Amino acid sequence: MKAMRLIAALAASAALALGASGASSEPYNDGQSASYYEVLKGKRVAFVPLSMGFDLTEGWNAGLQNQAEALGYTVDIRDPNWNVEAAVQAVNGFIADKPDVLILHPLDQQAYNRLVPKAQSEGIKVIQINLKSITNGDAYVGADWYEMGYKQAEEIVRACGKDSGNNGKIAIVTGQASTPTIVIGNMAFDDVFAQHPEIEVVAKQSADFDPAKAKSVTSTILKQNPDLCGILGVWDGQDQGTAAAVREAGMQDQVYVVSSGGGNKAAACDNVESGDFDAYYSYDVPGQARDLNAAVKILLQQTDMEPGAAPFALYTPLKLITKDNLSPTSCWTLEELQVSGG
Amino acid sequence: MVVDKLNQERIVLLTAIVLFVFFSITLNGFIDPGNLLSLVQNVSILGILGVGMALAIIGRGIDLSILSTMPVSAAWMLNLINDGMPIWLALACALAFVVLVGIVNGVLIAYVEVPAIFATLAMGIVVYGIGKAWLVPIDSVYIRGGESWFYAIGTGRILGVPTPVIVFAGVALLAWLFLRYLKPGRFIYGIGDNPLAARITGMPVRPMIVLQYILISIIALVAGIVTATALSGINTRVALSTMVYDVILVVVLGGIGLSGGKGGIRNVIVGTLLIGILLNGMTIMNLSYTVQNILKSVILLAAIVVDTLLNPRDEQTAQHGDI
Amino acid sequence: MAASDTWTRWRYRYVPDHIIGEVLAKNWIDTLIPVVFLAGVLTFFSIELPGFLSGSNLTDIAQIYGEYLIIIVGITFVMMAGGIDLTVGSTFAFCNLAALLVINTMEVNLALGIPAVMLMGGAIGLVNGLLIGYLGMRAFLTTLVMLIIVRALVDQGLLDYGQTVMSGFNPSAAWEFMAIGHVYGIPASLIVGGVVALVGHIVLTRMRFGWHVMAVGGSRRSAYNAGIHVKRTVCATYVLSGMLTGLAATFYAARLSSAGTDVGKGLEVTMLTAAVLGGISLGGGRGSIVKAMLGAIIVLLVQNSLIRMGLSSGASSLVLGAILLLAVAIDVRWVKNRHKVLARTYVSPTYFKLPPLPDTAEGSGSDYALNDRLRGVEAIGLGELDGPEDVIFDDEDDLYCGGRHGDIIRFSAPDYARWEVFVHIGGHPLGMAFDREGNLYSCVGGMGLFRIAPDRTVTKLSDETNRSLLSVVDDSRLRLADDLDIAPDGRVFFSEATIRYEMYDWMVDALEARGNGRIICWDPKDNSSRTVLPSLQLPNGICVEPNGQSLLFAETWGCRITRWWFDGPNKGRKEVIIDNLPGYPDNINRASDGNFWCALCGMRSPVFDLALTMPSFRRRMVQKVARDEWLYPNMNTGCVIKFDADGNILDVLWDLGGEAHPMITSIREHKGWLYLGGIYNNRIGRYRIPDADPQWTSNADYWGKRS
Repeated sequence: MKAMRLIAALAASAALALGASGASSEPYNDGQSASYYEVLKGKRVAFVPLSMGFDLTEGWNAGLQNQAEALGYTVDIRDPNWNVEAAVQAVNGFIADKPDVLILHPLDQQAYNRLVPKAQSEGIKVIQINLKSITNGDAYVGADWYEMGYKQAEEIVRACGKDSGNNGKIAIVTGQASTPTIVIGNMAFDDVFAQHPEIEVVAKQSADFDPAKAKSVTSTILKQNPDLCGILGVWDGQDQGTAAAVREAGMQDQVYVVSSGGGNKAAACDNVESGDFDAYYSYDVPGQARDLNAAVKILLQQTDMEPGAAPFALYTPLKLITKDNLSPTSCWTLEELQVSGG
Repeated sequence: MVVDKLNQERIVLLTAIVLFVFFSITLNGFIDPGNLLSLVQNVSILGILGVGMALAIIGRGIDLSILSTMPVSAAWMLNLINDGMPIWLALACALAFVVLVGIVNGVLIAYVEVPAIFATLAMGIVVYGIGKAWLVPIDSVYIRGGESWFYAIGTGRILGVPTPVIVFAGVALLAWLFLRYLKPGRFIYGIGDNPLAARITGMPVRPMIVLQYILISIIALVAGIVTATALSGINTRVALSTMVYDVILVVVLGGIGLSGGKGGIRNVIVGTLLIGILLNGMTIMNLSYTVQNILKSVILLAAIVVDTLLNPRDEQTAQHGDI
Repeated sequence: MAASDTWTRWRYRYVPDHIIGEVLAKNWIDTLIPVVFLAGVLTFFSIELPGFLSGSNLTDIAQIYGEYLIIIVGITFVMMAGGIDLTVGSTFAFCNLAALLVINTMEVNLALGIPAVMLMGGAIGLVNGLLIGYLGMRAFLTTLVMLIIVRALVDQGLLDYGQTVMSGFNPSAAWEFMAIGHVYGIPASLIVGGVVALVGHIVLTRMRFGWHVMAVGGSRRSAYNAGIHVKRTVCATYVLSGMLTGLAATFYAARLSSAGTDVGKGLEVTMLTAAVLGGISLGGGRGSIVKAMLGAIIVLLVQNSLIRMGLSSGASSLVLGAILLLAVAIDVRWVKNRHKVLARTYVSPTYFKLPPLPDTAEGSGSDYALNDRLRGVEAIGLGELDGPEDVIFDDEDDLYCGGRHGDIIRFSAPDYARWEVFVHIGGHPLGMAFDREGNLYSCVGGMGLFRIAPDRTVTKLSDETNRSLLSVVDDSRLRLADDLDIAPDGRVFFSEATIRYEMYDWMVDALEARGNGRIICWDPKDNSSRTVLPSLQLPNGICVEPNGQSLLFAETWGCRITRWWFDGPNKGRKEVIIDNLPGYPDNINRASDGNFWCALCGMRSPVFDLALTMPSFRRRMVQKVARDEWLYPNMNTGCVIKFDADGNILDVLWDLGGEAHPMITSIREHKGWLYLGGIYNNRIGRYRIPDADPQWTSNADYWGKRS
């Protein structure tokens, strides 16, 4: 017993001495930085993505983790693997753990409707990324899907419409048709094409986000419409298949493929460079990761504000990538993001 | 008398021919040789997987893990190649992996006597889990660069015929030869027809079942390689889709009874062609994807209903536990 | 030798080996596997996850568990009937969309909306049911195709109504209650789920429909041949499953209001896993609601905890898949090997040492010396009878005996050539006795104690007795009521040979040499039965002594006859009067000269006597040797003895070689003749007793002369 006490006393005095020496070289404080670091330290952020293991969520996570590590807070992930039910359980689990900020990546617009207010009433601030539930949280970070659809449609009008000298025949190879982003995007397509009657949509098919289906659908469409001018895709992963069919048919010069996605190098720039995609709208995951970090840090610093007091949104600026403006920085890779993202 | 000879295979073949004629007349460009080739090409992956599934079902089994083995093994192989491994070495690794999966499946079914449905259902989940946890952390794997012959497997043409069609034909031919002329192939029919009798007659039932699932896994890898090279990438999320049900339907639709011992590769081809004609025709008609799905599945249901009506099961002879 | 004998005796007296076999024979042992599994899961996660058992987590789990319960009750019915329902996932999504549309958007009253949604689910189930039940299609394939069809319909529905649903909101309080309401902390869905499970359990175990379901699943062909509407029953299970899935979907709709494309995907796998994990057999017939409930909670806890542990989704599915594999593997091996394990462990021999075997050699001067006096006795009903275990006479001298076909047969006096079926009971009547009023009492093997009035009305008097507190086997049910006698006050004392074996297995009881039998008293005053003497070695014959206060009973495997006072000053006393018979005593009956007759149904052999002192030898034999080759007591030859109230042997009658009466189980003296019955015999023997009172009848001896 005695020995133990002695050791404890020694340790305490050593700690005191260390603390004193640490205090003697206090870093420069510009008036905000000290409290900035102080407030963020030890905070807890929770993140429920749709699923880990695909470029968007891995990219965001890389950014989040880098910043959290640098500033001394934690980001915990629970991975529901595309399952709504599992996602709801994961969110409920997090609410019970009471983190400071909860980041949600909704699969649809309703599932989290009750959960967002529930989390806020527990004092947790909620950020939604890339798709919004009907209920607003404290922040939204992500693309404006209507704008995305609108710009993609305008791009194909530019390539096939009145001023291009082409016949205006296009096909749409869309994703799982009931997904909200697809629904919103389709509304934008319709609005644009309503203003451009010269555009003729010869086929509109869903490929269910499956590149293999996209390929077979596209190859059939191309057989039927050998004079097709353009194809409108909705997600790079699936459009890979569309592009493969176009390439196989040897119609890469004729058919203008517009795609969109998070701007991963392998999915986007490589394909633009090879000519598989003629135009690509990116919502730029590194930028989103930075926005996400900004939102997290803002909410963590607003310690005296109740959740829901000042909701804000950070819509992602969309970036058009074509062969002409392609540069080494147009796209990103996960390795880069893991090193320096956020 | 005609009705007597109407088994499911003939019904499906008849349906396929009727649809073919109907589409040829009504749809512009359907009969075009290019379209017909792409029709077959579009279902060749389904067909290759169908050949594998047929091996299982003829032996009174089923393999639900095939749709996990396919993307995980192929994606892992691409990952290894992308990390700089020579193609042949990566292929050997993937082959070892699928053989292992096949052995585990076979041992579970043959020796532990777990019903094939459950053994392979669970193995499907396990294989996907292993893939996602260790082998392929990112869903989508893309082919990077590479002008090797290997990448032409999915995209090339030989004498104007797309290579996937040739691979499908090759796999079907090998499987046909195996089932028709090799002793293990004949054994699989025996085991499927009556496992107990097969055992009593001295067939090595258990090793044959293991062999059967190894072959199926290898076929899955072939399908995976064709898919990956055709799309210059592969997404392991296919494992979560309902495509495995499509594969079963191709096989059963062609007339291979789930109770085993009947049918052959010809049935797979017939079933695959019907699906191919349907999908192609409906895409040309620009039916929406969901409507296509409804139509496709209703036609499938009709086919098995007709089969049941023509070959009804009897309460007195139905086997217990036969679901 | 002596020391090791003592050790063996103590070892086998005090170590209750038989309990292992009895526990394994219980029906609930199947449920033990998931219970152990659940305990393991709970322990593991409460250590690994702080807050695992916290209130808010439990509420979340309970809410989902309620939905799971509702679905799995339907699945249980389907699987118990031998089917499988893969459509649930799609039905769930369909009904979820329907519920959102009908209740949330169109704001239909819940009292109308919920049944409407359930009907939609039921309609999908009906399609399955018609195809599988009536057309005889394969359940797996059919529900698989239906899964795809319904999923395609859902996708189409989402396209058409997805936007409409998104904007809807039903403000009704009841809808809100379904979503987040709870009573005493129990969420609404769990309350409904509990009620559904309870009703499901009662229907499955107590009601006609449930029994039909189990019969169809247990053996479809037998059920069909027994006249059960197999098709209708199968169809109904799918309709039920569809409707319950619809009900669960309304709760889901209320809770999440989500019409995503992934709703219900993989639910069929989850439910299948839960059912199999709980121990519901594929192919039907074996399972229960409780098992399904256990399976569901295990799957839910594992899923939920894996998510909460923050494992990567790969690792989570790896664990889930492995658990499914493990569960199915255990289930398969258990079902396959259960009867083997049971066969190896159920028979549990104990130590029993008999005194040295008395001599029976001819001319040895022994009380039991062989003779041939029963050879060539007259036969009654030769070749027409099958197993007259006991014989008895009424006041008109008509002869009654039992038969293996479940009848009591009456031969008419005086020549006993004509016979008729007196009554049909259904079980094999063994011991018989007449009471004061001329009612015939009989112990019926496998059924219990019955009374047959002279007008042939059959009354069941007893088929159960009090359950002993510590017995693992249910000893309240009568398995093998054997012989009986009636006390002057009308109480019936009857023996039950063994509580551990059914009638067809009664010989196996000999291998145990444990007191597995008992004597039970049925009291006419309150029509109750109570065990009065437990732990006897196959008690068999019972005979009330003329004093009306004591009875003699024979213990077949104990080779002894004991007196027991049930009344009077000596009440409760027990004394062995013959303790070393050369054979196995069966029925005891009074003789005209105030002594007693007893039948020995088989003779002891030195080998078996020795085996009785070597329990481990008998255990090895049971485990290693085929059943037909086991060493049993000899039952091929026997004799009749006469003894007095002090246990002195007065006479012995043999049939050498056992030609006419290889196994004598009963004797009855009547008017100077001795009648011989045997449970495996095809006749009743009739032996003229020299010097017997030709007017003496048993009835008169018991009840006095009737006018």
